[in-house]
Amino acid sequence: MTYADDECRPILLRGGRLIDPATGFDQTADVLLAEGLAQQIQTKRIDSGDAAVIDAEGLIVCPGLLDIHVHFREPSGDGGPAHDETIATGSAAALNGGFTTVCVMPNTTPALDTAAMIQFVQDRAAESDNCRVLAIGCATHQRAGETLAEIGAMTKAGAVGFSDDGSVVASAAVMQKVLRTAKTYDRCFMQHCQEPTLTAGGVMNAGVLAQRLGLGGWPKVAEELIIARDIMLNREIGCRYHAQHVSSGGSVELIRQARAGGQPVSGEASPHHLLLTEDACADYDTMAKMNPPLRTQTDVDALKAGVADGTITVLATDHAPHPMHTKRTDFAAASFGIVGLECALPLYAKALIADGVLEWAEMLKLMTVNAAELIGLEAMGLGRLEVGGPADVTLIDPDAKWTLSQEQFVGTGVNCPFFGWDVVGRAVGAIVGGRLKMSRLESRNTETPKKIETPKG
Amino acid sequence: MAVVESNLRHLLALDGMSGGQITSLLDRAERYLPIVGREQPPIDVLGRRIIANMFLEDSTRTRGSFTVAAQRLGAQTVELTGKGSSISKGESLLDTAWTIESFGVDAIVMRTSAAGGAALVAANVNVPVINAGDGRHEHPTQGLLDLLTMRQRLGDLRGRRVAIVGDIANSRVARSNVHGLTALGAEVVLIGPPTLAPQSLAGLSPADNITVSHDLDEQLAALDVIMMLRVQFERGAGISSDYHELYGLTATRTQRLPEHAIVMHPGPMNRGLEIDAAVADDPQRSAIRQQVANGVAVRMAVLAWALGE
Repeated sequence: MTYADDECRPILLRGGRLIDPATGFDQTADVLLAEGLAQQIQTKRIDSGDAAVIDAEGLIVCPGLLDIHVHFREPSGDGGPAHDETIATGSAAALNGGFTTVCVMPNTTPALDTAAMIQFVQDRAAESDNCRVLAIGCATHQRAGETLAEIGAMTKAGAVGFSDDGSVVASAAVMQKVLRTAKTYDRCFMQHCQEPTLTAGGVMNAGVLAQRLGLGGWPKVAEELIIARDIMLNREIGCRYHAQHVSSGGSVELIRQARAGGQPVSGEASPHHLLLTEDACADYDTMAKMNPPLRTQTDVDALKAGVADGTITVLATDHAPHPMHTKRTDFAAASFGIVGLECALPLYAKALIADGVLEWAEMLKLMTVNAAELIGLEAMGLGRLEVGGPADVTLIDPDAKWTLSQEQFVGTGVNCPFFGWDVVGRAVGAIVGGRLKMSRLESRNTETPKKIETPKG
Repeated sequence: MAVVESNLRHLLALDGMSGGQITSLLDRAERYLPIVGREQPPIDVLGRRIIANMFLEDSTRTRGSFTVAAQRLGAQTVELTGKGSSISKGESLLDTAWTIESFGVDAIVMRTSAAGGAALVAANVNVPVINAGDGRHEHPTQGLLDLLTMRQRLGDLRGRRVAIVGDIANSRVARSNVHGLTALGAEVVLIGPPTLAPQSLAGLSPADNITVSHDLDEQLAALDVIMMLRVQFERGAGISSDYHELYGLTATRTQRLPEHAIVMHPGPMNRGLEIDAAVADDPQRSAIRQQVANGVAVRMAVLAWALGE
């Protein structure tokens, strides 16, 4: 950013609907941000003083949004494929979608399995100076599922959770060690729930459609088996256990029962699993190829019910950028996954708010404090908006109608099945540590604190 | 998506084709049969056209059959096969197809191990694409030649009962036959062990005349056609030691078929596993060699149709 004079200027958010899901606060209020912190929050008018005033009337003002499951493809290895996305471009995409904090998964090349690699991510994130980028460390060495990674050292270096995402920890014995170790360091474990022998050759949901298309089936029970096993393993351990990208209604029920039994078990839902079914694969559309695969309407409904009753506690995109040539190929050969950061908010709103599953305040809870609690950062004030806490704020226009298109994306990855969709709701501002890093506020009667450039990519 | 009759005529699958469209192709194939039998001279409807045989998976009869079919119509073929091809050097399916299109060929006949591969190429090139087998998905010209064979032996297929036996899960031949047979009003029973003939196959098409059975013996007496499939070990099919005992077509089982019932096999056969040699060579019941001859006629019909003749 080049406007050094404005860098430290306070920001006053005037007259927005302040929603803080951590406290249940939901009223019109003024918020004064200065020196990186929330200084005042009042339902009566705050004197602007020397602050830049943002007219937030009609906007939702909420704690900065978190996405605990993204892939930024950095590092991308020696002599391997060129970067599809980097920490710089990915964090720019995050800001564009209204996220102020993201957690990168460790399935990079090399994998994030040492304290030095965690530090590398943090250094790159600092250089990029977009949103906050936190690292999830590998649970096992090189994500091979055989020996423990240095979970303690990575925790000290700043890793906020552990996962072999992209691969399951298949061995029960190794899983038990991972859960014990993560518990010891008070970190969560995030499981990629995919029993490997049942999914060999699988590229879409197992069933009639896969049979008709001649594609390898990936059954729901492959996900459910791992969740059931891990819940049993974790019964005596009590690690914060999180099932990533839940796709099956049966998984939702397993998590529901474990939570009812008092276990610290949670699950996450992605936009595509809330909005699409396996039918999207019918013409071999590789944009519908996901890991885990898109399921059936019954599963979508069960996932929404899980969100509604608090079984699914976190919304996360599994933002997975891929170069287009790996999608423009036959279905079995195509890469798994889609980008999510820049369209997630209106897609969640479409799936959950427009469908009457949740209100905005409830939905934002799954994108703020719930996510922060899972990764243990609510103590430092992430995921909430309180006086004295970090000045991370997202401004949302809940009524903005727009059409998703590639031109509006700033990230490198444009593998997205949602282009052309008409959506409602958009992040119009993102403030990180008191600095306005993304703004679509030009059209408002607003004295913006500084001209916003496109985030660094 | 099965048959795209916009600017280009692709044949990608029998799934989605109407009985009328199928019958029209079969009628045309029947008219070409005397040429295949050398009772009539070749015709020159595709004179000077060039057809690319892009076979990225091994094939003997299908590729040979397409080549003969093209030549009987006066076309020339260029043969591009998998081993030693660019695709074995890591080139993508689409790059290979674009290269072949850029030669200026008039049509692409293609086989690939990728389900949906022919549809992908068809959506990205400006020449007709004929699917000669895409993974486990479909093999529409095999389906058509099987339908022609059944029609020759049995007449109208409406209400006829056809068993497809063996490794259904891995079979593109089975899928094409299911769609073609149901479009023509036949009943299909898919028979095999639950691992190779799972119940979900009953949903292959919206038609309600598909059933799945795991008991070959109880089905025999009611069949008009029994089509035996090869166990595709190369696609990961596994069988238990009772496979031949339960699902092999033996001479004894053949005797329990109705007098008029015919035996088919798309080849290549594992003699002694899914079909006994004596059954395969039975001059009365076996239609296996007729299938091969019909294959040339059907491919002539498809090529002529695709190229607008």
